[in-house]
Amino acid sequence: MARAYMLFGFTVFLVQLHVSGNITKYINMKYSYLSLTAAILFGLLTVIQVIHVFKTEGNHDHEHDHDCDHTCHHGHVHKKEKGFKRFLSAIVFIFPVFTGLFLPISTLDSTIVDAKGFHFPVSEPGNNDPFMQRQYLKPDLSVYYGEEGYKQLIKQETKEFVNKNHIELNDENFLKGMEVLYDNPGIFLGTKVTYKGFVYREKTLNNNQLFIFRFGIIHCVADSGVYGMLIDFPKKSDLKNDQWVEVTGTLKQMYYQPFKTTIPYLQVDNLKEVKPPNEPYVYRNK
Amino acid sequence: MGNSFFHSFLQMNTIFISIVVEALPFILIGVFFSGIIQIFVTEEMLSKLIPKNRFLAVLVSVLLGFIFPGCECGIVPIVSRLIAKGVPPYAAIAFMLTGPIINPIVLFATFIAFGNNIHMVILRCLTAIIVAYITGIVLSYSKIQNPLLKEHTIPVNYNVPLKQKLWDVCVHAIEEFFSMGKFLIIGAFIAASVQTFISTDALVKIGHGPFLSSLVMMALAFILSLCSEADAFVASSFQSTFSTSSIVAFMVFGPMVDIKNTFMLFNNFKKGYVLRIIGLAFGITLLLTTFI
Repeated sequence: MARAYMLFGFTVFLVQLHVSGNITKYINMKYSYLSLTAAILFGLLTVIQVIHVFKTEGNHDHEHDHDCDHTCHHGHVHKKEKGFKRFLSAIVFIFPVFTGLFLPISTLDSTIVDAKGFHFPVSEPGNNDPFMQRQYLKPDLSVYYGEEGYKQLIKQETKEFVNKNHIELNDENFLKGMEVLYDNPGIFLGTKVTYKGFVYREKTLNNNQLFIFRFGIIHCVADSGVYGMLIDFPKKSDLKNDQWVEVTGTLKQMYYQPFKTTIPYLQVDNLKEVKPPNEPYVYRNK
Repeated sequence: MGNSFFHSFLQMNTIFISIVVEALPFILIGVFFSGIIQIFVTEEMLSKLIPKNRFLAVLVSVLLGFIFPGCECGIVPIVSRLIAKGVPPYAAIAFMLTGPIINPIVLFATFIAFGNNIHMVILRCLTAIIVAYITGIVLSYSKIQNPLLKEHTIPVNYNVPLKQKLWDVCVHAIEEFFSMGKFLIIGAFIAASVQTFISTDALVKIGHGPFLSSLVMMALAFILSLCSEADAFVASSFQSTFSTSSIVAFMVFGPMVDIKNTFMLFNNFKKGYVLRIIGLAFGITLLLTTFI
Protein backbone atom coordinates (compact mmCIF):
# COMPACT_ATOMS: atom_id res chain seq x y z
CA MET A 1 0.00 0.00 0.00
CA ALA A 2 2.97 2.27 0.59
CA ARG A 3 3.52 2.18 -3.17
CA ALA A 4 0.00 3.32 -3.84
CA TYR A 5 0.61 6.32 -1.59
CA MET A 6 3.85 7.13 -3.41
CA LEU A 7 2.21 6.86 -6.83
CA PHE A 8 -0.59 9.04 -5.51
CA GLY A 9 2.05 11.48 -4.28
CA PHE A 10 3.54 11.77 -7.77
CA THR A 11 0.07 12.22 -9.27
CA VAL A 12 -0.77 15.00 -6.84
CA PHE A 13 2.62 16.64 -7.33
CA LEU A 14 2.37 16.74 -11.12
CA VAL A 15 -1.27 17.84 -11.10
CA GLN A 16 -0.43 20.54 -8.57
CA LEU A 17 2.37 21.82 -10.82
CA HIS A 18 -0.01 22.14 -13.72
CA VAL A 19 -2.89 23.63 -11.75
CA SER A 20 -0.74 26.21 -9.99
CA GLY A 21 1.15 26.99 -13.17
CA ASN A 22 4.44 26.41 -11.38
CA ILE A 23 5.37 23.92 -14.06
CA THR A 24 6.76 26.87 -16.05
CA LYS A 25 9.45 27.25 -13.41
CA TYR A 26 10.73 23.76 -14.23
CA ILE A 27 10.15 23.01 -17.88
CA ASN A 28 9.43 24.67 -21.19
CA MET A 29 5.63 24.70 -21.62
CA LYS A 30 6.12 23.39 -25.12
CA TYR A 31 6.69 20.01 -23.47
CA SER A 32 4.02 20.31 -20.82
CA TYR A 33 1.84 17.72 -22.56
CA LEU A 34 4.45 15.13 -21.65
CA SER A 35 4.24 15.75 -17.94
CA LEU A 36 0.48 16.01 -18.14
CA THR A 37 0.45 12.56 -19.74
CA ALA A 38 2.71 11.36 -16.95
CA ALA A 39 0.28 12.74 -14.37
CA ILE A 40 -2.60 10.83 -15.99
CA LEU A 41 -0.53 7.64 -16.13
CA PHE A 42 0.44 8.01 -12.47
CA GLY A 43 -3.23 8.44 -11.60
CA LEU A 44 -4.06 5.29 -13.51
CA LEU A 45 -1.23 3.37 -11.88
CA THR A 46 -2.36 4.53 -8.44
CA VAL A 47 -5.80 3.07 -9.03
CA ILE A 48 -4.33 -0.14 -10.41
CA GLN A 49 -1.96 -0.48 -7.47
CA VAL A 50 -4.79 -0.01 -4.97
CA ILE A 51 -6.92 -2.64 -6.67
CA HIS A 52 -3.89 -4.90 -7.00
CA VAL A 53 -3.18 -4.65 -3.28
CA PHE A 54 -6.78 -5.43 -2.37
CA LYS A 55 -6.90 -8.32 -4.78
CA THR A 56 -3.74 -10.00 -3.56
CA GLU A 57 -4.51 -9.34 0.06
CA GLY A 58 -8.17 -10.15 -0.21
CA ASN A 59 -8.54 -11.55 3.25
CA HIS A 60 -6.84 -8.85 5.17
CA ASP A 61 -8.59 -6.21 7.15
CA HIS A 62 -8.67 -3.17 4.90
CA GLU A 63 -9.15 -0.80 7.75
CA HIS A 64 -5.59 -1.38 8.85
CA ASP A 65 -3.53 -0.64 5.85
CA HIS A 66 -0.71 0.79 7.88
CA ASP A 67 -0.27 -2.58 9.58
CA CYS A 68 -0.26 -4.23 6.22
CA ASP A 69 3.08 -2.81 5.29
CA HIS A 70 4.74 -4.88 7.93
CA THR A 71 2.77 -8.04 7.79
CA CYS A 72 1.54 -8.61 4.31
CA HIS A 73 4.45 -9.20 2.07
CA HIS A 74 4.41 -12.96 2.48
CA GLY A 75 1.42 -13.12 0.26
CA HIS A 76 2.77 -10.93 -2.52
CA VAL A 77 3.47 -12.20 -5.97
CA HIS A 78 6.65 -10.23 -6.32
CA LYS A 79 9.40 -10.24 -3.79
CA LYS A 80 9.92 -6.93 -2.11
CA GLU A 81 12.82 -5.45 -0.28
CA LYS A 82 12.54 -5.67 3.44
CA GLY A 83 13.05 -3.55 6.50
CA PHE A 84 15.58 -0.78 6.39
CA LYS A 85 16.30 -1.06 2.68
CA ARG A 86 12.62 -0.70 1.93
CA PHE A 87 12.44 2.30 4.17
CA LEU A 88 15.38 3.91 2.38
CA SER A 89 13.95 3.39 -1.05
CA ALA A 90 10.63 4.84 0.13
CA ILE A 91 12.54 7.92 1.28
CA VAL A 92 14.07 8.28 -2.18
CA PHE A 93 10.61 8.42 -3.79
CA ILE A 94 9.09 10.63 -1.15
CA PHE A 95 11.98 13.11 -1.24
CA PRO A 96 11.30 14.79 -4.62
CA VAL A 97 7.55 14.86 -3.99
CA PHE A 98 8.13 16.43 -0.60
CA THR A 99 10.72 19.02 -1.62
CA GLY A 100 8.77 19.73 -4.78
CA LEU A 101 5.53 20.36 -2.93
CA PHE A 102 6.78 22.07 0.19
CA LEU A 103 10.06 23.84 -0.47
CA PRO A 104 9.85 27.20 -2.19
CA ILE A 105 10.68 27.03 -5.88
CA SER A 106 13.66 29.19 -6.46
CA THR A 107 14.49 31.02 -9.62
CA LEU A 108 17.89 30.37 -11.11
CA ASP A 109 20.17 33.29 -10.43
CA SER A 110 23.80 34.35 -10.26
CA THR A 111 24.69 31.32 -8.12
CA ILE A 112 24.09 29.19 -11.18
CA VAL A 113 25.80 31.60 -13.55
CA ASP A 114 28.83 31.33 -11.24
CA ALA A 115 28.76 27.56 -11.44
CA LYS A 116 27.83 27.07 -15.05
CA GLY A 117 29.55 30.11 -16.40
CA PHE A 118 28.57 31.79 -19.61
CA HIS A 119 30.46 31.29 -22.78
CA PHE A 120 31.20 33.69 -25.40
CA PRO A 121 32.63 32.59 -28.66
CA VAL A 122 36.23 33.30 -29.34
CA SER A 123 35.77 34.84 -32.67
CA GLU A 124 38.49 34.90 -35.22
CA PRO A 125 37.93 37.46 -37.91
CA GLY A 126 37.04 35.98 -41.23
CA ASN A 127 36.13 32.64 -39.81
CA ASN A 128 33.11 31.50 -41.72
CA ASP A 129 33.19 27.88 -40.64
CA PRO A 130 29.54 27.01 -40.04
CA PHE A 131 30.64 25.06 -36.97
CA MET A 132 32.03 28.22 -35.50
CA GLN A 133 28.73 30.01 -35.33
CA ARG A 134 28.52 32.13 -32.29
CA GLN A 135 25.76 31.19 -30.04
CA TYR A 136 26.16 32.00 -26.43
CA LEU A 137 24.57 35.23 -25.34
CA LYS A 138 23.30 35.23 -28.84
CA PRO A 139 20.33 32.97 -29.29
CA ASP A 140 20.55 31.29 -32.64
CA LEU A 141 17.08 30.80 -33.97
CA SER A 142 18.24 29.69 -37.38
CA VAL A 143 17.63 26.32 -35.86
CA TYR A 144 13.92 26.68 -36.26
CA TYR A 145 13.70 27.68 -39.83
CA GLY A 146 15.42 26.45 -42.93
CA GLU A 147 18.53 28.32 -44.02
CA GLU A 148 16.59 30.29 -46.60
CA GLY A 149 13.59 30.80 -44.43
CA TYR A 150 15.87 31.86 -41.66
CA LYS A 151 17.65 34.47 -43.72
CA GLN A 152 14.34 35.77 -44.87
CA LEU A 153 13.02 35.81 -41.36
CA ILE A 154 16.08 37.55 -40.01
CA LYS A 155 15.80 40.04 -42.80
CA GLN A 156 12.16 40.53 -42.04
CA GLU A 157 12.78 40.67 -38.31
CA THR A 158 15.71 42.94 -38.78
CA LYS A 159 13.47 45.16 -40.83
CA GLU A 160 10.90 44.94 -38.11
CA PHE A 161 13.44 46.16 -35.58
CA VAL A 162 15.61 48.35 -37.73
CA ASN A 163 13.03 50.99 -38.48
CA LYS A 164 12.51 51.58 -34.82
CA ASN A 165 14.67 53.97 -32.98
CA HIS A 166 13.68 52.33 -29.72
CA ILE A 167 13.60 48.53 -29.38
CA GLU A 168 11.72 47.15 -26.41
CA LEU A 169 12.22 43.48 -25.60
CA ASN A 170 9.63 41.60 -23.57
CA ASP A 171 9.13 37.95 -22.56
CA GLU A 172 7.96 37.00 -26.04
CA ASN A 173 10.48 38.71 -28.24
CA PHE A 174 13.50 38.59 -25.93
CA LEU A 175 15.40 35.73 -27.56
CA LYS A 176 14.38 36.85 -31.05
CA GLY A 177 15.42 40.40 -30.39
CA MET A 178 18.74 39.47 -28.80
CA GLU A 179 19.50 37.38 -31.82
CA VAL A 180 18.77 40.15 -34.26
CA LEU A 181 20.93 42.54 -32.24
CA TYR A 182 23.85 40.15 -31.99
CA ASP A 183 23.49 39.09 -35.57
CA ASN A 184 24.03 42.45 -37.02
CA PRO A 185 24.96 44.94 -34.32
CA GLY A 186 26.39 47.31 -36.90
CA ILE A 187 23.06 48.46 -38.23
CA PHE A 188 21.65 49.02 -34.75
CA LEU A 189 24.39 51.27 -33.49
CA GLY A 190 22.87 54.21 -31.71
CA THR A 191 19.48 52.54 -31.34
CA LYS A 192 17.87 52.60 -27.93
CA VAL A 193 17.20 49.19 -26.39
CA THR A 194 15.10 48.41 -23.34
CA TYR A 195 14.89 45.05 -21.59
CA LYS A 196 14.58 43.46 -18.19
CA GLY A 197 16.96 41.05 -16.55
CA PHE A 198 19.00 40.37 -13.48
CA VAL A 199 22.40 41.78 -12.68
CA TYR A 200 25.45 39.58 -12.96
CA ARG A 201 28.81 41.02 -12.04
CA GLU A 202 31.70 39.21 -13.56
CA LYS A 203 34.94 39.55 -11.63
CA THR A 204 37.02 40.69 -14.56
CA LEU A 205 34.71 43.58 -15.46
CA ASN A 206 35.37 47.16 -14.48
CA ASN A 207 33.20 48.39 -11.63
CA ASN A 208 31.18 50.50 -14.03
CA GLN A 209 30.24 47.46 -16.10
CA LEU A 210 27.99 44.50 -15.51
CA PHE A 211 25.87 41.99 -17.37
CA ILE A 212 22.10 41.89 -17.40
CA PHE A 213 20.96 38.39 -18.13
CA ARG A 214 17.91 36.24 -18.38
CA PHE A 215 17.82 32.48 -18.31
CA GLY A 216 16.60 30.88 -21.50
CA ILE A 217 15.21 27.37 -21.33
CA ILE A 218 15.23 24.61 -23.95
CA HIS A 219 13.52 21.66 -22.25
CA CYS A 220 13.90 22.09 -18.55
CA VAL A 221 15.71 24.23 -16.03
CA ALA A 222 18.68 21.84 -16.06
CA ASP A 223 19.56 22.76 -19.64
CA SER A 224 19.14 26.51 -19.33
CA GLY A 225 21.70 29.14 -20.25
CA VAL A 226 21.92 32.88 -19.86
CA TYR A 227 21.29 35.48 -22.55
CA GLY A 228 21.74 39.20 -22.37
CA MET A 229 24.16 42.05 -22.83
CA LEU A 230 26.95 43.92 -21.22
CA ILE A 231 25.91 47.22 -19.70
CA ASP A 232 28.25 50.16 -19.39
CA PHE A 233 27.69 52.93 -16.85
CA PRO A 234 29.26 56.37 -16.90
CA LYS A 235 30.49 55.82 -13.35
CA LYS A 236 30.77 53.08 -10.72
CA SER A 237 27.59 51.08 -10.18
CA ASP A 238 26.56 49.61 -6.84
CA LEU A 239 23.99 47.20 -8.17
CA LYS A 240 24.16 43.78 -6.55
CA ASN A 241 23.97 40.39 -8.22
CA ASP A 242 20.43 39.18 -8.91
CA GLN A 243 18.82 42.59 -8.62
CA TRP A 244 16.21 42.71 -11.37
CA VAL A 245 16.38 45.87 -13.38
CA GLU A 246 14.89 47.41 -16.45
CA VAL A 247 17.57 48.99 -18.51
CA THR A 248 17.37 51.41 -21.38
CA GLY A 249 20.56 52.13 -23.20
CA THR A 250 22.14 53.04 -26.47
CA LEU A 251 23.65 50.22 -28.44
CA LYS A 252 27.37 50.44 -29.09
CA GLN A 253 30.11 48.05 -29.91
CA MET A 254 33.41 47.31 -28.24
CA TYR A 255 36.26 44.88 -28.25
CA TYR A 256 35.90 42.75 -25.19
CA GLN A 257 39.17 41.20 -24.12
CA PRO A 258 38.03 38.15 -22.09
CA PHE A 259 35.89 37.06 -25.04
CA LYS A 260 38.48 38.18 -27.56
CA THR A 261 35.77 39.53 -29.76
CA THR A 262 33.71 42.55 -30.56
CA ILE A 263 30.40 42.53 -28.78
CA PRO A 264 27.48 44.88 -28.75
CA TYR A 265 26.81 46.54 -25.40
CA LEU A 266 24.47 49.13 -24.00
CA GLN A 267 25.61 52.52 -22.85
CA VAL A 268 23.10 53.03 -20.10
CA ASP A 269 20.66 55.94 -20.35
CA ASN A 270 18.22 54.90 -17.76
CA LEU A 271 18.07 52.03 -15.33
CA LYS A 272 15.49 51.28 -12.70
CA GLU A 273 15.19 48.49 -10.20
CA VAL A 274 12.13 46.35 -10.74
CA LYS A 275 10.45 43.42 -9.05
CA PRO A 276 11.37 39.99 -10.44
CA PRO A 277 8.80 39.19 -13.14
CA ASN A 278 6.27 36.39 -12.73
CA GLU A 279 7.91 34.59 -15.60
CA PRO A 280 11.61 34.90 -14.88
CA TYR A 281 12.62 32.67 -17.77
CA VAL A 282 12.35 33.01 -21.51
CA TYR A 283 11.69 29.91 -23.57
CA ARG A 284 12.55 28.56 -26.95
CA ASN A 285 9.04 28.32 -28.12
CA LYS A 286 8.87 27.66 -31.80
CA MET B 1 27.03 31.40 5.18
CA GLY B 2 24.29 29.11 6.36
CA ASN B 3 21.85 31.29 4.53
CA SER B 4 23.77 31.18 1.28
CA PHE B 5 24.06 27.42 1.55
CA PHE B 6 20.30 27.17 1.94
CA HIS B 7 19.92 29.45 -1.05
CA SER B 8 22.17 27.20 -3.14
CA PHE B 9 20.31 24.19 -1.87
CA LEU B 10 17.01 25.62 -3.11
CA GLN B 11 18.57 26.33 -6.50
CA MET B 12 19.91 22.80 -6.59
CA ASN B 13 16.52 21.43 -5.59
CA THR B 14 14.86 23.36 -8.41
CA ILE B 15 17.24 21.83 -10.96
CA PHE B 16 16.76 18.43 -9.35
CA ILE B 17 12.97 18.61 -9.50
CA SER B 18 13.12 19.86 -13.08
CA ILE B 19 15.21 16.85 -14.14
CA VAL B 20 12.80 14.53 -12.33
CA VAL B 21 9.74 16.19 -13.87
CA GLU B 22 11.34 16.08 -17.30
CA ALA B 23 12.42 12.44 -16.99
CA LEU B 24 9.28 10.98 -15.40
CA PRO B 25 7.25 10.75 -18.62
CA PHE B 26 10.12 8.95 -20.33
CA ILE B 27 10.72 6.47 -17.56
CA LEU B 28 6.99 5.75 -17.52
CA ILE B 29 7.09 5.05 -21.24
CA GLY B 30 10.10 2.83 -20.58
CA VAL B 31 8.47 0.77 -17.86
CA PHE B 32 5.28 0.37 -19.89
CA PHE B 33 7.30 -0.87 -22.85
CA SER B 34 9.13 -3.21 -20.55
CA GLY B 35 5.77 -4.46 -19.29
CA ILE B 36 4.51 -4.97 -22.83
CA ILE B 37 7.64 -6.91 -23.74
CA GLN B 38 7.29 -9.03 -20.62
CA ILE B 39 3.65 -9.90 -21.18
CA PHE B 40 3.24 -9.95 -24.96
CA VAL B 41 6.59 -10.79 -26.51
CA THR B 42 7.64 -14.42 -26.41
CA GLU B 43 11.18 -15.75 -26.38
CA GLU B 44 10.54 -17.37 -29.76
CA MET B 45 9.57 -14.09 -31.38
CA LEU B 46 12.80 -12.48 -30.20
CA SER B 47 15.05 -15.35 -31.19
CA LYS B 48 13.59 -15.19 -34.69
CA LEU B 49 14.23 -11.48 -34.88
CA ILE B 50 17.85 -11.51 -33.73
CA PRO B 51 20.28 -13.36 -36.04
CA LYS B 52 22.37 -16.16 -34.55
CA ASN B 53 25.63 -14.83 -35.92
CA ARG B 54 27.04 -12.35 -33.43
CA PHE B 55 28.29 -9.87 -36.04
CA LEU B 56 24.88 -9.75 -37.65
CA ALA B 57 23.10 -9.75 -34.30
CA VAL B 58 24.99 -6.68 -33.12
CA LEU B 59 24.48 -4.97 -36.47
CA VAL B 60 20.72 -5.50 -36.32
CA SER B 61 20.59 -4.27 -32.71
CA VAL B 62 22.67 -1.21 -33.41
CA LEU B 63 20.35 -0.19 -36.24
CA LEU B 64 17.16 -1.05 -34.39
CA GLY B 65 17.32 2.34 -32.70
CA PHE B 66 16.34 4.01 -35.98
CA ILE B 67 12.84 2.67 -35.76
CA PHE B 68 12.54 2.21 -32.04
CA PRO B 69 12.55 5.51 -30.20
CA GLY B 70 14.01 5.18 -26.74
CA CYS B 71 15.68 7.68 -24.51
CA GLU B 72 18.44 7.05 -22.05
CA CYS B 73 16.29 7.10 -18.93
CA GLY B 74 13.68 4.75 -20.31
CA ILE B 75 15.87 2.29 -22.11
CA VAL B 76 17.53 0.44 -19.22
CA PRO B 77 14.36 -1.34 -18.08
CA ILE B 78 13.62 -2.29 -21.69
CA VAL B 79 17.09 -3.69 -22.25
CA SER B 80 17.23 -5.76 -19.08
CA ARG B 81 13.81 -7.14 -19.96
CA LEU B 82 15.04 -8.10 -23.42
CA ILE B 83 18.03 -9.92 -21.92
CA ALA B 84 15.80 -11.73 -19.45
CA LYS B 85 13.75 -12.81 -22.47
CA GLY B 86 16.78 -14.39 -24.07
CA VAL B 87 18.19 -11.67 -26.34
CA PRO B 88 22.01 -12.02 -26.27
CA PRO B 89 23.23 -9.42 -23.77
CA TYR B 90 25.85 -7.98 -26.12
CA ALA B 91 23.18 -7.32 -28.74
CA ALA B 92 20.83 -5.78 -26.20
CA ILE B 93 23.59 -3.52 -24.90
CA ALA B 94 24.47 -2.43 -28.44
CA PHE B 95 20.82 -1.44 -28.86
CA MET B 96 20.92 0.38 -25.53
CA LEU B 97 23.91 2.45 -26.64
CA THR B 98 22.53 3.67 -29.97
CA GLY B 99 18.81 3.72 -29.14
CA PRO B 100 18.85 7.11 -27.40
CA ILE B 101 20.98 8.68 -30.15
CA ILE B 102 19.92 7.49 -33.56
CA ASN B 103 16.18 7.66 -33.09
CA PRO B 104 14.36 10.08 -35.39
CA ILE B 105 13.32 12.53 -32.68
CA VAL B 106 16.85 13.00 -31.38
CA LEU B 107 18.36 13.24 -34.85
CA PHE B 108 15.84 15.89 -35.77
CA ALA B 109 16.64 17.84 -32.60
CA THR B 110 20.33 17.63 -33.48
CA PHE B 111 19.63 18.83 -37.00
CA ILE B 112 17.75 21.81 -35.63
CA ALA B 113 20.23 22.62 -32.86
CA PHE B 114 23.09 22.92 -35.29
CA GLY B 115 21.39 25.34 -37.57
CA ASN B 116 19.90 22.79 -39.94
CA ASN B 117 23.29 21.29 -40.51
CA ILE B 118 23.12 17.68 -41.63
CA HIS B 119 26.87 17.25 -41.24
CA MET B 120 26.68 17.18 -37.44
CA VAL B 121 23.78 14.73 -37.53
CA ILE B 122 25.76 12.32 -39.68
CA LEU B 123 28.85 12.61 -37.49
CA ARG B 124 26.86 11.98 -34.34
CA CYS B 125 25.00 9.08 -35.84
CA LEU B 126 28.04 7.35 -37.35
CA THR B 127 30.21 7.75 -34.28
CA ALA B 128 27.46 6.33 -32.09
CA ILE B 129 26.98 3.35 -34.40
CA ILE B 130 30.70 2.58 -34.52
CA VAL B 131 31.12 2.89 -30.75
CA ALA B 132 28.10 0.69 -30.08
CA TYR B 133 29.09 -1.88 -32.68
CA ILE B 134 32.62 -2.35 -31.34
CA THR B 135 31.36 -2.38 -27.76
CA GLY B 136 28.79 -5.04 -28.65
CA ILE B 137 31.30 -7.25 -30.43
CA VAL B 138 33.89 -7.00 -27.63
CA LEU B 139 31.19 -7.77 -25.05
CA SER B 140 30.16 -10.84 -27.00
CA TYR B 141 33.55 -12.36 -26.17
CA SER B 142 33.13 -11.49 -22.50
CA LYS B 143 33.12 -14.33 -20.00
CA ILE B 144 30.01 -12.98 -18.33
CA GLN B 145 27.23 -14.65 -20.26
CA ASN B 146 24.39 -13.66 -17.99
CA PRO B 147 25.02 -10.08 -16.89
CA LEU B 148 21.69 -9.69 -15.06
CA LEU B 149 21.93 -9.33 -11.31
CA LYS B 150 18.74 -11.14 -10.51
CA GLU B 151 16.66 -13.56 -12.47
CA HIS B 152 13.86 -11.32 -13.62
CA THR B 153 12.19 -14.09 -15.45
CA ILE B 154 8.86 -14.68 -13.87
CA PRO B 155 7.19 -17.38 -15.93
CA VAL B 156 4.53 -15.81 -18.08
CA ASN B 157 1.39 -17.53 -19.15
CA TYR B 158 0.68 -16.30 -22.69
CA ASN B 159 -2.72 -17.94 -22.77
CA VAL B 160 -4.63 -15.51 -20.64
CA PRO B 161 -7.32 -13.17 -21.96
CA LEU B 162 -6.25 -9.80 -23.34
CA LYS B 163 -7.89 -7.93 -20.48
CA GLN B 164 -5.81 -9.88 -18.00
CA LYS B 165 -2.70 -9.23 -20.09
CA LEU B 166 -3.24 -5.49 -20.12
CA TRP B 167 -3.73 -5.58 -16.39
CA ASP B 168 -0.49 -7.51 -15.99
CA VAL B 169 1.35 -4.95 -18.11
CA CYS B 170 0.28 -2.24 -15.67
CA VAL B 171 1.16 -4.23 -12.58
CA HIS B 172 4.48 -5.04 -14.12
CA ALA B 173 5.07 -1.39 -15.02
CA ILE B 174 4.49 -0.38 -11.40
CA GLU B 175 6.95 -3.00 -10.21
CA GLU B 176 9.52 -1.75 -12.70
CA PHE B 177 8.89 1.90 -11.92
CA PHE B 178 9.78 1.34 -8.29
CA SER B 179 12.93 -0.56 -9.06
CA MET B 180 14.15 1.91 -11.72
CA GLY B 181 12.73 5.22 -10.51
CA LYS B 182 14.83 5.14 -7.37
CA PHE B 183 18.05 5.30 -9.37
CA LEU B 184 16.73 7.93 -11.70
CA ILE B 185 15.93 10.11 -8.70
CA ILE B 186 19.32 9.56 -7.03
CA GLY B 187 21.08 10.25 -10.34
CA ALA B 188 19.07 13.42 -10.92
CA PHE B 189 19.95 14.57 -7.42
CA ILE B 190 23.66 14.10 -7.95
CA ALA B 191 23.57 15.73 -11.38
CA ALA B 192 21.75 18.76 -9.93
CA SER B 193 24.25 19.02 -7.06
CA VAL B 194 27.17 18.95 -9.44
CA GLN B 195 25.57 21.60 -11.64
CA THR B 196 25.08 23.86 -8.63
CA PHE B 197 28.16 23.29 -6.52
CA ILE B 198 30.91 22.48 -8.96
CA SER B 199 32.02 25.03 -11.45
CA THR B 200 31.53 23.55 -14.89
CA ASP B 201 33.03 26.73 -16.23
CA ALA B 202 36.34 25.80 -14.61
CA LEU B 203 36.11 22.40 -16.26
CA VAL B 204 35.48 23.98 -19.62
CA LYS B 205 38.56 26.13 -19.24
CA ILE B 206 40.91 23.13 -18.96
CA GLY B 207 39.72 21.68 -22.21
CA HIS B 208 42.33 22.37 -24.86
CA GLY B 209 43.89 20.10 -27.43
CA PRO B 210 41.99 17.32 -29.16
CA PHE B 211 42.42 14.72 -26.43
CA LEU B 212 41.71 16.93 -23.43
CA SER B 213 38.78 18.70 -25.01
CA SER B 214 37.07 15.42 -25.87
CA LEU B 215 37.73 14.24 -22.35
CA VAL B 216 36.30 17.40 -20.82
CA MET B 217 33.21 17.31 -23.02
CA MET B 218 32.59 13.68 -22.13
CA ALA B 219 32.99 14.42 -18.44
CA LEU B 220 30.55 17.28 -18.88
CA ALA B 221 28.04 15.04 -20.67
CA PHE B 222 28.28 12.51 -17.86
CA ILE B 223 27.79 15.13 -15.18
CA LEU B 224 25.02 17.14 -16.78
CA SER B 225 22.93 14.02 -17.48
CA LEU B 226 20.84 15.80 -20.07
CA CYS B 227 18.01 14.21 -21.95
CA SER B 228 19.27 13.12 -25.35
CA GLU B 229 16.63 15.28 -26.98
CA ALA B 230 17.93 18.42 -25.32
CA ASP B 231 21.66 17.79 -25.27
CA ALA B 232 22.25 18.90 -28.85
CA PHE B 233 21.08 22.41 -27.97
CA VAL B 234 23.45 22.59 -25.06
CA ALA B 235 26.23 21.10 -27.19
CA SER B 236 25.71 23.72 -29.85
CA SER B 237 26.33 26.46 -27.31
CA PHE B 238 29.85 25.08 -26.92
CA GLN B 239 30.59 25.20 -30.62
CA SER B 240 32.82 28.19 -30.37
CA THR B 241 34.82 27.05 -27.38
CA PHE B 242 35.19 23.41 -28.41
CA SER B 243 36.18 21.56 -31.51
CA THR B 244 33.60 19.74 -33.59
CA SER B 245 34.98 16.35 -32.61
CA SER B 246 34.74 17.04 -28.88
CA ILE B 247 31.16 18.20 -29.35
CA VAL B 248 30.45 14.92 -31.10
CA ALA B 249 32.06 13.17 -28.10
CA PHE B 250 29.63 15.05 -25.85
CA MET B 251 26.62 14.01 -27.89
CA VAL B 252 27.69 10.40 -28.28
CA PHE B 253 28.93 9.58 -24.80
CA GLY B 254 26.26 11.53 -22.87
CA PRO B 255 23.24 9.51 -23.99
CA MET B 256 25.19 6.26 -23.65
CA VAL B 257 26.50 6.84 -20.15
CA ASP B 258 25.51 9.53 -17.68
CA ILE B 259 24.98 9.74 -13.94
CA LYS B 260 21.32 8.72 -14.09
CA ASN B 261 21.68 5.62 -16.18
CA THR B 262 24.93 4.52 -14.54
CA PHE B 263 22.93 4.11 -11.34
CA MET B 264 20.25 2.18 -13.18
CA LEU B 265 22.84 -0.03 -14.88
CA PHE B 266 24.50 -0.95 -11.58
CA ASN B 267 21.12 -1.83 -10.20
CA ASN B 268 20.40 -4.25 -13.04
CA PHE B 269 23.69 -5.69 -14.19
CA LYS B 270 26.72 -7.26 -12.60
CA LYS B 271 29.34 -4.71 -11.59
CA GLY B 272 32.03 -6.12 -13.88
CA TYR B 273 29.68 -5.96 -16.85
CA VAL B 274 28.66 -2.35 -16.22
CA LEU B 275 32.32 -1.34 -15.86
CA ARG B 276 33.06 -3.03 -19.14
CA ILE B 277 30.19 -1.24 -20.91
CA ILE B 278 31.26 2.13 -19.52
CA GLY B 279 34.95 1.49 -20.14
CA LEU B 280 34.38 0.44 -23.74
CA ALA B 281 31.96 3.23 -24.59
CA PHE B 282 34.31 5.72 -22.97
CA GLY B 283 37.52 4.44 -24.55
CA ILE B 284 36.16 4.06 -28.06
CA THR B 285 34.38 7.42 -28.08
CA LEU B 286 37.54 9.12 -26.87
CA LEU B 287 39.71 7.38 -29.44
CA LEU B 288 37.37 8.06 -32.32
CA THR B 289 36.83 11.70 -31.51
CA THR B 290 40.48 12.40 -30.76
CA PHE B 291 41.80 11.01 -33.99
CA ILE B 292 39.11 11.93 -36.44
